[in-house]
Amino acid sequence: MREQLLKSFVDMDEQEAVKIARELVETDGGAVAVLDTCKEAMEEVGRLFEAGEYFLSELIAAGDMFNQIMEFTLPKLQGEEVASLGTMVLGTVQGDVHNIGKDIFKVMAEASGINVIDIGIDVPHEKFVEAIKEHKPELVGMCCLITLGVDSMKRTIEVIKEAGLRDDIKIIIGGGRVSQAVMEHVGADAWADDAARGVRLSKELLGKE
Amino acid sequence: MVSPEMQKLAEERAARMKAANELKEPDRVPFSGLGGDIIAAYAGISSYEYNFDFEKNRQAIIKWNTDFPADSPQGGVGGLDNLSLSVAFVDFPDLANSIFMLNGPMNDVLDMKFARFPGRQLDEYSSPQFIGGKNMEPEEYDELIADPQKFAYEKILPRISNNLQDMSSPKALATMARLGMVKAQQAAELMKTGQALAELGFPSGGGFGFGFAPLDYIGDHLRDLPNVVLDIRKYPDKVKAATRSILEVLFKLAMQNQHADTIMFPLHLNEYLSPKLYNEFYWPTLKEFILRLAENGKKSSLFCEGWHDPHLETFLELPAGWGRAMFEKTDVRKAKKILQGHTVIQGGIDVGVVISGTPAKIDEYMKALLGDMMPGGGYICGPNVGNLPRETPIENVAAVYEAIEKYGKY
Amino acid sequence: MVSPEMQKLAEERAARMQAARELKEPDRVPFTGLGGDVIAAYAGITAYEYQFDFEKSRAAVLKWLKDFPSDSAMIGAGGLDCLPLAVAFSDFPDLAGGFMVVNGPMNDILKMKFARFPGRELDENSSPQFIGRSNMDPSEYDELIANPQKFAYEKILPRLSDNFKDLNSPLALATMARAGLERVRQGAEMAKTMAAIAELGYPFGPAGGLSYAPLDFIGDHLRDIPNTVLDLRRYPDKVKAATESILEVLFKLATANPNVASVGFPLHLNEYLSPELYKEFYWPTLKEFVLRLAEKGIKSSMFCEGWHDPHLETLLELPAGWGTAMFEKTDVRKAKKVLQGHTVVQGGIDVGVVISGTPAQIDEYIKQLLDDMMPGGGFILGANVGNLPRNTPIENIAAVYEAVEKYGKY
Repeated sequence: MREQLLKSFVDMDEQEAVKIARELVETDGGAVAVLDTCKEAMEEVGRLFEAGEYFLSELIAAGDMFNQIMEFTLPKLQGEEVASLGTMVLGTVQGDVHNIGKDIFKVMAEASGINVIDIGIDVPHEKFVEAIKEHKPELVGMCCLITLGVDSMKRTIEVIKEAGLRDDIKIIIGGGRVSQAVMEHVGADAWADDAARGVRLSKELLGKE
Repeated sequence: MVSPEMQKLAEERAARMKAANELKEPDRVPFSGLGGDIIAAYAGISSYEYNFDFEKNRQAIIKWNTDFPADSPQGGVGGLDNLSLSVAFVDFPDLANSIFMLNGPMNDVLDMKFARFPGRQLDEYSSPQFIGGKNMEPEEYDELIADPQKFAYEKILPRISNNLQDMSSPKALATMARLGMVKAQQAAELMKTGQALAELGFPSGGGFGFGFAPLDYIGDHLRDLPNVVLDIRKYPDKVKAATRSILEVLFKLAMQNQHADTIMFPLHLNEYLSPKLYNEFYWPTLKEFILRLAENGKKSSLFCEGWHDPHLETFLELPAGWGRAMFEKTDVRKAKKILQGHTVIQGGIDVGVVISGTPAKIDEYMKALLGDMMPGGGYICGPNVGNLPRETPIENVAAVYEAIEKYGKY
Repeated sequence: MVSPEMQKLAEERAARMQAARELKEPDRVPFTGLGGDVIAAYAGITAYEYQFDFEKSRAAVLKWLKDFPSDSAMIGAGGLDCLPLAVAFSDFPDLAGGFMVVNGPMNDILKMKFARFPGRELDENSSPQFIGRSNMDPSEYDELIANPQKFAYEKILPRLSDNFKDLNSPLALATMARAGLERVRQGAEMAKTMAAIAELGYPFGPAGGLSYAPLDFIGDHLRDIPNTVLDLRRYPDKVKAATESILEVLFKLATANPNVASVGFPLHLNEYLSPELYKEFYWPTLKEFVLRLAEKGIKSSMFCEGWHDPHLETLLELPAGWGTAMFEKTDVRKAKKVLQGHTVVQGGIDVGVVISGTPAQIDEYIKQLLDDMMPGGGFILGANVGNLPRNTPIENIAAVYEAVEKYGKY
């Protein structure tokens, strides 16, 4: 059943995957099996994306399947120890109110085992600082879609520096208009212009791969 | 740019009008000027062009006011009153007042059943005309009384505009967008005309707005004139209650026009009503309207259409200095006797005399008129109706202006 | 007035663009220039002022175009696409075209929920932003397919703005009237700006239009992007039928203005779709759209947002000379290899480099880019996305323009 679930999930067969997961979750130890299988499937979808075989629509569809399945799986996992790779504070930077890219990344990051604290869109610099103080993440993710976000990320990172928090965290920036040059310009540690790359690099920054 | 000389002329003209409006004697009798369809004829254009081509309209107005300068400019874009639309949109003050008058291009957009324009429904040399019609049943008085705005929007607009028949249709919304576009284009044109008139030494500022006697709104726009005089007898309480509801919305409209220091009221049903009916159904809400405007620092100006003699004394119920009364058939001399020192009187020139007289007769006529009307001040000389027909002899028009110059000095 | 010297300059610039559009080599590589938020910053005004104060934005644009001259003028403060409104009024060609894009002052009137403007919903130095949201339930596909115009009007408009929540309401109608007024006001401002730009020697070619790939209309305005990609799998036949219906109304809109010579398509879902999905759901109706426009002598230009590499070959299904493809992340060198002699390639300058590089690096970058891209012609140099942020170093921008001067001659 786990293999069937993995296959139908990766093949984007939504109805089949959800149906199998519903059956599997009711078996003994099934909830953990569903969670692990879906994580594995998400990872495979990410790999296929990075290989150029899958596209954003597949990432979105996979994320949607993952969320659908988790909706009935997570309640059954209460009390189980779920391993976390680490914590990440994630937000779209001040001035930018887009959320699609952030949301695609978020579900993939969560599926990979990262505990994601989503602080929303158009996030003021100070709110990043407050969230870092409160959640003590290992990682901070900043998203932007529009070019204006570049300025905003640079300022956010400066504010984090001024608060004396920069050395405690790694920063990854993401979005359609970021690049190696932009990463150096704003002073981040990694960059990704797609969610799969973003998750892979996040795991690297957490020292998990 | 307005030259210093023309600036000075504008100030003189404004001071002259102001003195008369304050019931005093100015340096010379203020003269509102003659105008109407003759302005287009004088410029050699059709009424259609005058109403629809704003460039030609402006040229005609400039030519007329250059050759026949009075104390206020003559001419504009002829319009028909469009009160139901303003009432329907009274909650949108930026729009409501600007759509109060319906001109030709606006009617191309709205296609109002009551409107006839030259070159469209009429011959291209005709004047714009308002055709009254019955747009409401007597059973609907309660709805009207409950909410005149809602009633105008929901019931009247679909009945009077061919393009607003289905108010939920794309056509209705598109019509409104087009109306906005036409208004914006016209505003730009009218600003140019205003600038040109300022360069001719006409005072700007001190705009005017429109008001209506509440019963006239029922008569002109809802029930039509014959029906409303029957309604007064058949449903007196409903009619009275309706005038009170309508007063509120019309007052709101008038007050929205922040640039207006004077509100003009064309009276229509006055001539139809006995003093008894006038005092019961017409005058109470009109009087309250004027009193409320006065409280808010606005003057009123009543154009008393037809024969107003039986109602003259009612003006005295208003405080002295409330405003101005213009007369059509009522003899201004008679009005002066009653209203001197209380109400500014405007008018006096019978357009019939201008159309059919000779320059010599007109000179004599004007001399007698001014001799009787000027003493004591508070008088503005002008025609008894606003429209001189296209065929009016120009030498007769000139004779009026010359007579003002000759006999108008205090 | 445009001086003869500037007239000559405009002709040179137009000829340069024209040659590249005909896939030829001009005298120099045509350059669309850089722009965006930095234009306001360079003039010392906020993004809010740039968006809402036409006087200030005109001055900012003129300053920019004077100091950073290129071959085409980017005018206006930009807006957000508002296609559903245009579709809803597609039976009214005089209106629909003007409703394609909503800018700040217009959105003060329309209050579209998808729109965010600086100084309103956003910080005063932010860029205008479009926020996709789902405005349609999948159960409504049949209605959409049956009549996209009716569906956009009856179902989508009320969901896009509370001002249209009740289409049959004074608020909805007043909103349209205000939108009409605003359009004419902006048209006059735009005409002033264009006249001033023409004095700087910039050509204004024939009218250009804006449209959408039918699937993007669903993705951006009806279902939102994530739902649309799910719908492709869940309701493939409905989605396909919907794109076919939408094509008809968008084609009607795009060709409503008989003077239109080119239509621009910003592609959004291209980056989301695998070649299989692209070819099944996205490309067929976009291709037919472009072919139908070509039959009418109208060129197309596609802004291929994001990474378009997997779909490059599909452009070869169009006849050579169909139009221009602009690229964001796709390497223009790669595009040139595939499209040379068939499709005009536009873009090449990565704004990331302009934002974060040094003048020396930029000089080298542009030199290499032009070396690779100019040979054989059919290339228009420009930024890979339209918007340079406010803090872009001005010396980097200057470096781009200098490099184009230095290395851009054929």
